[in-house]
Amino acid sequence: MAHNELILTDVTKRFGGLTAVDALSFKVDSGQIYGIIGPNGAGKTTVFNCITGIYKSEEGSINWRGEEIRGLTPYQIVDCGIVRTFQTIRLFSQMSVAENIMSGRHIKSKQSWWHGIIHTPASRRDELDNWHKVEEQLDFFQLSEFAATPTGSLPYGIQRRVEMARAMAVEPTLLILDEPAAGLNDNETLRLLETIFKIRDKGVTVLLIEHDMDMVMEVTDYLTVINFGKKIADGTPAEIQNNPAVIEAYLGSEDDDE
Amino acid sequence: MKNLERFGFPALIVVMAIMPNLLNPRWQAVAITFLIFTVVALSQDIILGKAGMFNMGQALFFGMGAYITAILNSQYGWPLLATIPVAILLPALFGVLLSGPIIHLRGDYLLVVTIGFNIVFIQVVQNNLGGITGGPNGIFGLDSLSLFGTQLTSQLAVYYFAFAVLLLTLGIMRNLEKSKAGRALHYLREDHLAAESIGINTRVYKIFAFALGAGIAGLAGTVFATQYSAVSPEAFEFIQSVLFFSIVLVGGSSMPGILLGVFMMFVLPEIFREFATWRFFIFGFAMILAMILRPRGIWPATFGKIPKFLIKESNHGA
Amino acid sequence: MDIFLQQLANGLTIGSIFALVALGYTMVYGVMKLINFAHGDMVAASAFVGLTIYTQVMGQATSLVAVIAIFFLSAAVMACVGIILERLAYRPLREAPRLSAVVSALGASLMIQNGIMLIWGPQMRIFPELIPQVYWDINGVVISLIQVLILVLSLGLMIALYLFVEKTRMGAAIRASAIDQDAARLMGINVNRIIAIIFIIGSSLGAVGGLFIGLYYRGITFNMGWQYGLYAFIAAILGGIGNIPGAMLGGMMLGLFQAFIAGYISSTWADAFTFILLILILIVRPTGLLGERVAGKV
Ligand SMILES: Nc1ncnc2c1ncn2[C@@H]1O[C@H](COP(=O)(O)OP(=O)(O)OP(=O)(O)O)[C@@H](O)[C@H]1O
Ligand SMILES: [Mg+2]
Repeated sequence: MAHNELILTDVTKRFGGLTAVDALSFKVDSGQIYGIIGPNGAGKTTVFNCITGIYKSEEGSINWRGEEIRGLTPYQIVDCGIVRTFQTIRLFSQMSVAENIMSGRHIKSKQSWWHGIIHTPASRRDELDNWHKVEEQLDFFQLSEFAATPTGSLPYGIQRRVEMARAMAVEPTLLILDEPAAGLNDNETLRLLETIFKIRDKGVTVLLIEHDMDMVMEVTDYLTVINFGKKIADGTPAEIQNNPAVIEAYLGSEDDDE
Repeated sequence: MKNLERFGFPALIVVMAIMPNLLNPRWQAVAITFLIFTVVALSQDIILGKAGMFNMGQALFFGMGAYITAILNSQYGWPLLATIPVAILLPALFGVLLSGPIIHLRGDYLLVVTIGFNIVFIQVVQNNLGGITGGPNGIFGLDSLSLFGTQLTSQLAVYYFAFAVLLLTLGIMRNLEKSKAGRALHYLREDHLAAESIGINTRVYKIFAFALGAGIAGLAGTVFATQYSAVSPEAFEFIQSVLFFSIVLVGGSSMPGILLGVFMMFVLPEIFREFATWRFFIFGFAMILAMILRPRGIWPATFGKIPKFLIKESNHGA
Repeated sequence: MDIFLQQLANGLTIGSIFALVALGYTMVYGVMKLINFAHGDMVAASAFVGLTIYTQVMGQATSLVAVIAIFFLSAAVMACVGIILERLAYRPLREAPRLSAVVSALGASLMIQNGIMLIWGPQMRIFPELIPQVYWDINGVVISLIQVLILVLSLGLMIALYLFVEKTRMGAAIRASAIDQDAARLMGINVNRIIAIIFIIGSSLGAVGGLFIGLYYRGITFNMGWQYGLYAFIAAILGGIGNIPGAMLGGMMLGLFQAFIAGYISSTWADAFTFILLILILIVRPTGLLGERVAGKV
C-alpha cells in the first residue's frame, strides 16, 4: 500500500476564457524528487492549486495512492498526506516561528475541540508531545534561535525555511514546494538543496516548481515542462536539457531571473 | 510586560475578591456590571479577536441567556442557578445554527448579518413572540439567588456569583490559548488559506468559536438577570453589540486591554455622571483617537506563548 | 389590488431614498473597502441642518427658490462634513488593519449622532412643510406630490451619477481607484482627490436623502440615522456592495419589500423580514445581486 504515487490525467483548469492548465498528465513516483518547470504564467502554480484542493479542476482526474482526490477540500488533501508551501510565502506573520510550526501539528494532535475549554491529563500530554515535535523541526531546519520571534519580522530566506518546517511538521508523504528557492541567495539555495535531499531521505516524495534551472537540474530526478498549460516535454534533467522544444520555449526565453 | 502579567494579574484578582466588601451598594452594583460586561467582552473576543470574525451581534447571545434565565425562573419556577446549563447551551446551539449558514461570508457581510440577528432578536422579544418574553417591558420580579436552600439576597452574593463566572471565563480563555482549538482560531484569523492548507477545517473552528462565545455570553446573561431580577429588551440592543465590538478592538484583544475597555465604557460614565449626555459623544471621539494613535488597540495581544524549553539561550528575538 | 398599488407607490418612494443613501455607502466601500458607519448619521444630520437653514437662514420661506436653496446649502454643509470626516477619521487609518477603520467609523457615527443630540436636543423635531400637501386619488390609490418629487428627483440624481461615473474622465478615475488603488496611483491618478470627491458626492446624495426623509416622514430624531443607514447599507449589500447600479437596484428592492411587508403582514416585523431577506440573498449570492464573485489569486 505504501506506494505513494500521484497520477494526474488530463487535468484542465480554466479561468473564464483562459485555459491555465490544459489536459495535463504526469505521474510522480514514490520517493522521487519531481520538478515542474515552465515560463512565467505557464500554469505551474495552478496545477499545484488543483492538486491541493484550492481550485477544483474542471476536468481530468487526480489520483493519489489509488484514490481520486479531485474535489476534496484543502484540509482533506492534507489529511491524505499532501502538504504544500506557497510561492508567495503565507505564514501566520504575527505569530512566532514555533507557533507557525505548531500549526503543522494540527492534524496530528489528538485533542478534540472541547479540550479548548477543559484540559485533561491526556490533552496536556498531547500538547507537550507536539511541542516536542516542533522542537525537532526547529532543530532540523536550524530555526531554534528564532523560536519565539514573530515570523513577519524575519528575513525572507528564513521565512521560507519556516514555511517548509511548518509543512514538514505535518509529516507528509508528499511535499509540494512552489518555487522554494525564489528570493534566496546562493548560499541559502545550497542549503535548501541539502534540506530537500534530507527530506527525501526521510521517505517523503517531493514535487516542486522551480525557476532556477541550475537548481532544477541538480535536485530533480524527473521533470515535466509545461507552457501555456500544456506539457511540452518530460524526462530526466539530462534529457530535458537537450530537448529542442524546451530550449526554445523555456530556456530560450530565460531572461527573467527573479 | 512579562512581570505585569505575572504579578499584576493575580494582584488584580485579589483586589477584585476583596473589593466589594469596601464598597457602598451603588458602587457594588457598578462593580457587578463591570464583571458581567467583562465576561461578555471576553466572549466577544473569542469570536472577533481570536477567530477574527466580524461579529456585531454579541448582545444577542447575552440577551438570550438573560431571557432564558428570566423565563425559566418566572414561568417555570426554576431556581436561578439551575437555569445556568440551559442559558449556556441554548445560546451555544443558536451560535452554531446561526453561524453555520453565514460563516463563509466575507468580513463585512458577516458583520451586517450579525447586526441583523441582533435586531431580529430584539424585535422578537419586543413583539412578545409566544407570549413569554413580556414584550417591551420585559420580565421582572425574578427570585433571588439560592444555594442549597439558603437564600442569598444580598448584592454581595450577586457580586461573588459574577466574580465566579469571570474566573471561570478567564480559566476557559487560558485553556483555549494552550490548546489545538485555540491556536486554530489564531491561524484561521491570520491567514485563512494557509490554515486550510495545513489541514485545519476552518469552518468547524469558526462555528466552534461562535458556539463558545455564545455560551459564555449566555452565562453572563444569567448573571445580568440575577443582578436586576429583571430583563428587558433595551439592555441587549444592537448598540450594546457595537460597544462590545469596540471594546475588543480598542482594547487590543488582550486581557488587560479588554479590562481597560470595559472600564472606560461602563465604569467611567458612572464616575462622571454629570457628563451623562456627553457620554457617547466622548466615546465616539475616544474610539477614533484610540484607533489613530494605536491602530492595533491600546494594549495589543501578544503572541509567543510557547513552552520555555523551546526558547534557546542565544535568542534575542522575543 | 388597491393595497398593492398603494404599497407600490410607497415602496418606490422609500426605495428611492434608500437608494440615494446606499450610493454613499457603496461608493466609499468601492474605493476604500470601508463601511462608513457615519453615513447614516450624516443623513440624519442633514435633515437637522435643513431644518436650521429653514428657520434661521431662510426666515421660514417656502418659495421654490428657498426650497432649492435649502437643498443646496444642506448638501454643501454635509459635503464639508464628509470631507472633514474622511480627513480626520479615515485617512490616518488607510494603512492600518481594516478593523481599526471600522471602529473609527463607528466612533464617528456615535459622535455625529450624539452631536446632533447635543445641538438639537433628544426630542423629536418636526421638519417644515416645504412642499405643498397635494394629493391625487387615482382609483383609491393616494399619491402625494412629495412622493412624485422624491421619486423623480432621486431617479434624476442616480442617472446623473451613473453617467458621471461611466462617461467622464473623473468617473473613469473613480472606477480605476475602486479596482486597484495602487495601480491607479501609478497611472497618475490622485487617489486622495478621488476619495475626497467620493465623500463629496456620497455626502451630498445622503444629504438629499436626509431632507427627503424629513419631507416625507416629517418627524426627525437624532438617532434615526442608524435605522435609515442600516437599511441603506443593506440595500447596498443586496445589490452588491461597491456596485453603483447595484445600490439603486437594492434600494428600490428593499423599499418595495418593506412596503409590501407593511401592507400585507405588519410593520412590527419589518426589520426581521428585511434581515431574513438579506441573509437568504447572501446565502444564495454571497456578493449580492450584481456584485461580481471574486476569486483571489494564490
Ligand atoms: N485566480 C485566478 N483567476 C484568473 N486567472 C488566474 C488565476 N490564477 C492564475 N491565473 C492565470 O493562470 C495563468 C497561470 O498562472 P500560474 O500562477 O499558474 O502561473 P505560473 O506558471 O505559476 O507562473 P509563475 O512562474 O509566474 O509563478 C496565468 O495567466 C494567470 O494569470
Ligand atoms: Mg507560480
